[in-house]
Amino acid sequence: MSATVIRTPFRPDPDVLQALRNQIQAIERHASAKIPTMGQNNTHQDETNAFVSSRFHSQTISLGAVEIDAALPWNGFPVQGLHEVFGDVAAHGFSAALVARLAKTKGGSAPILWCQQGRDLCGQGLMAYGIDPSQVIIVHGKNDTDILWAMEEGLRSACLSAVIGQLYRVPPIAGRRLQLAAEENGVTGILLRATPGKTVTQAPTAAALTRWRVLSAPSLTPAYGIGLGKPNWNLELQRCRLSALRGSGQDKKQETLGRPQSWQVEWCDETGDLSVAPILRDGSVEPQRLKAVG
Amino acid sequence: MAVSPAAQREGVQVGQSLADARALYPTLTVRHADPAADLKALDSLSAACERYTPWVALDPFGGGMGTANLYGAGLWLDITGCAHLFRDEEALLNDLFHRLNTAGYRARAGLAATAGAAWALSRFAAHEHNPSIILPTGQNITSALASLPIDGLRLDGNTVEGLERMGLRKIGDLYTVPRAPLSGRFGGAVLRRLDQALGTLDETLSPRRPCPAFEARLTFADPIGRREDIDAALTRLLEQLCTDLERATQGVRQLVFSLFRVDNIVVRVQAGTSRPNRDPVHLAHLFQEKLEKIDPGFGIDAVVLAAVETNALTVRQVGLDGGVDNTNRENTAKLVDRLGGRLGVGRITRLTPAASHLPEQASQEIPASGAPEVDCKDWMGPARRPTRPMQLLVQPLPIEVMAPVPDGPPVLFRWRQRQHRVRAAEGPERITPEWWRIEGDNRDTRPLSKDVRDYYRVEDEDGKRFWLYREGLYHPGLPPAWYIHGFFA
Repeated sequence: MSATVIRTPFRPDPDVLQALRNQIQAIERHASAKIPTMGQNNTHQDETNAFVSSRFHSQTISLGAVEIDAALPWNGFPVQGLHEVFGDVAAHGFSAALVARLAKTKGGSAPILWCQQGRDLCGQGLMAYGIDPSQVIIVHGKNDTDILWAMEEGLRSACLSAVIGQLYRVPPIAGRRLQLAAEENGVTGILLRATPGKTVTQAPTAAALTRWRVLSAPSLTPAYGIGLGKPNWNLELQRCRLSALRGSGQDKKQETLGRPQSWQVEWCDETGDLSVAPILRDGSVEPQRLKAVG
Repeated sequence: MAVSPAAQREGVQVGQSLADARALYPTLTVRHADPAADLKALDSLSAACERYTPWVALDPFGGGMGTANLYGAGLWLDITGCAHLFRDEEALLNDLFHRLNTAGYRARAGLAATAGAAWALSRFAAHEHNPSIILPTGQNITSALASLPIDGLRLDGNTVEGLERMGLRKIGDLYTVPRAPLSGRFGGAVLRRLDQALGTLDETLSPRRPCPAFEARLTFADPIGRREDIDAALTRLLEQLCTDLERATQGVRQLVFSLFRVDNIVVRVQAGTSRPNRDPVHLAHLFQEKLEKIDPGFGIDAVVLAAVETNALTVRQVGLDGGVDNTNRENTAKLVDRLGGRLGVGRITRLTPAASHLPEQASQEIPASGAPEVDCKDWMGPARRPTRPMQLLVQPLPIEVMAPVPDGPPVLFRWRQRQHRVRAAEGPERITPEWWRIEGDNRDTRPLSKDVRDYYRVEDEDGKRFWLYREGLYHPGLPPAWYIHGFFA
C-alpha cells in the first residue's frame, strides 16, 4: 500500500497573507500614525494598499531625470529612509549630487552630517556639486563603529537634512537601526560604500530602501573636442525594498517599478541635474568625435 | 627635614645633624626627602579639601621659600560663606580633622580673619592636645598674636635671627617698636607680614584651581556608589545650577563634575558645549558616556558641579510671527555636543574658507564646537571659480607619468599599481607658490609650497577623473615630478 501524495501548487490563504502583512507592518512601523496615509481606502485590499501607499507617498525629491524618477516606486527619491550607494569614485559624485538636492529640503539651511574616517573633503569641491560647505558638519570616526554610531545619532535628531557615512562594513542590525531612525525622523541616510575597484566585496545592507551601484563611464567629448565633457556615470538601481509590495499585478507599469535597472547618466554641474545620456553605437562616446580625442 | 613623634620622644629634633641623632638613638630609621612626592600628596589632599570650599591654595614651603619646610607644608582654605554648610566653623574643622586622621595625617589648624594670623595660629598656638585654634571674627587679632613667637610672621631665617638678637622675640614686641627704623634695618618684609597678619594690609593668595562663578554641591550622609544614585545627584545639581544660570542670563560652555571619594581621591569629569546652554536634560546627556567609566571606589560622599566657563545667554523668545527661529540651530549645537562628547571635540569639524589660492589650504577644517558662523557667501569667490575635486588628498602622492611633451598633459600614468591611459585632459591650470611669504617666518604656520604647479584634470579610459600636477618648470635633462592631488567623480 502506498499513499499517493497529490501535490497542489501553493496557494496562500488571502486571510493568512493579510494577517502576516499586518504583523510585518506592526513590527516595521510602530509609529505608523506619524505618516499620513493617502491610500484609496475603498478597494478590497484597503489596508495593504493604505500601508503600501503610505510608504509610496513619502516625501520625495526629483533626481532631475524623469526616467529614473519614474522607475522608482515612490515616483522620485524618497527623503525618509536609508539608501546605499556602491561603486567607484563616481559613487561619491552621485552621493554628493543626492546630498545637494536633499540639502534644499527643510528650508535649505538644515545642516548635513558627513561621517568619514579620512580627511579628504574639500569645501570648494563640495561647492562644485552644489553643496554649501557651511552646511556640512564633518565627523571623523576612528572606525566603522564610530561612524555608525554618529550616523544613528544624526538620524535621530530631526534637525539635519541628510546624513552621509563613508564606511566599509555595515552589520545587519546596524543597518536596520539606521533605517528605523531615518524613517522615524524623516532624515535621509546615505551609506556611501565606494571601493577603488569595480568589485563589491562587502555584503550589502538588507534594510536600505534603495541600493545603487555607480561606476564611472567615459564622457562625451564636448564641442570642438577641447577639455573634458560632463561626467558620465553608469547608474544601476540594484534593489528597491518596496518592489515586493507592489500592486497586485494588474497594472503593467507597476510591474516594472523598483526592478533592477541601469542607465548611463550625465551629470550637469551647472543645473545639478542628472540626465540619461543618449545611447549611441558603443554606448558612450559619440562616433564622429572619437577621432578628435585621438 | 621632619621628625616623627616617636623619634621626638627620644629627643631627636628638627635641625639636628644626622650623626647627633644617630648618637641619641642608634636604630633611627632615615628616609630621604622626596619633595616631588610630597608636593603630589599635598596636591591630592588639596583636591580632597575642595569639598569644603572651592578656594584651596597650596602652601608647600610653609610660608615662604626662605623658611624651607621648617614649619611643615600646609594648605590655605578660604571658608568664607562655607562654614554654615557644616553648621559652624568648629563642625567643619572637626570633619576635616576626622578625615585627615583617618587618612593617616597629623594636622594642626588655625582659623582667623586673616591668612597670616591663621598661619601663625596653626603653627605656634595649636599643639597636639588642642590641634585646632579658632579665632572668631570680631575678636582682636592683635592680642591673640601678641604672645606668639616672631617666627609666626612667615619671615626668613636671617630676619628672624636679627630680630631675636634685638630682643624682639614675640610678635607683640613689634607693636611698640617705631616702624621706620625697623623697615630701615630689615627691609619692608617685616612690616608687610605684620600688617598682613593684623589685617591692615590685604594679602592675595591664588587658589590652586580657578574658582567657578557658578557651582552646586551636594554631600551625602552615606557614601553612594551606584550609577543610578550618581545620575540622580547629577540631575539635582544640574537643576540647581541651571536655575542660577537662568537668573544670571548665562549659559554654560564648560562643566566640571567632581566626585569626592571617601578615600580622598577626587574624580573629575568634564563636558563642553558648542553654544552656551542651560538645558539640564541636554547637559545630563553629555555626562552619560563619561560616567560609565568612573570608578566610585569605596563610595562617594560629596559631589560638586561647577560651570568653569560661561557665556551670556539671554532668555529665548519664541516668536509668534515666525521670525528668526533658532531651534534648529540649537538642536544642531546639541548634536555636535553629543557627538563631540563621545568621539572627542576635535573630531567634529566644519569647513571654513581660507584666504589662499593653494587648493590644499583654501578649505580648512575647524572644530565645530564654538565655530564662528560661516555664511555661504564667504565661500563665493570670483564668479567663474576654478574647478576643484571633492576628494582632495591631504598630501599629494608622487606618480609615474609618461608625457609626450615636457609641458603637456600625460598620456599614461601609474597609480596604485595600475596603469591609466589618459583619454582626455584639461589644463594646465598654473598655481604659483605664495611668493609674498618668506621662508622661516614663524607667524604663519601653514606649510610653504616651493614650486610652480601645473594642474591637469584627466580622464582615463574607464571615465575616472583625476587631478594631477607637474611640479616645477621644465628643465632640460631633469625628469619632471608628477603628483596626484585629488579625484573628481
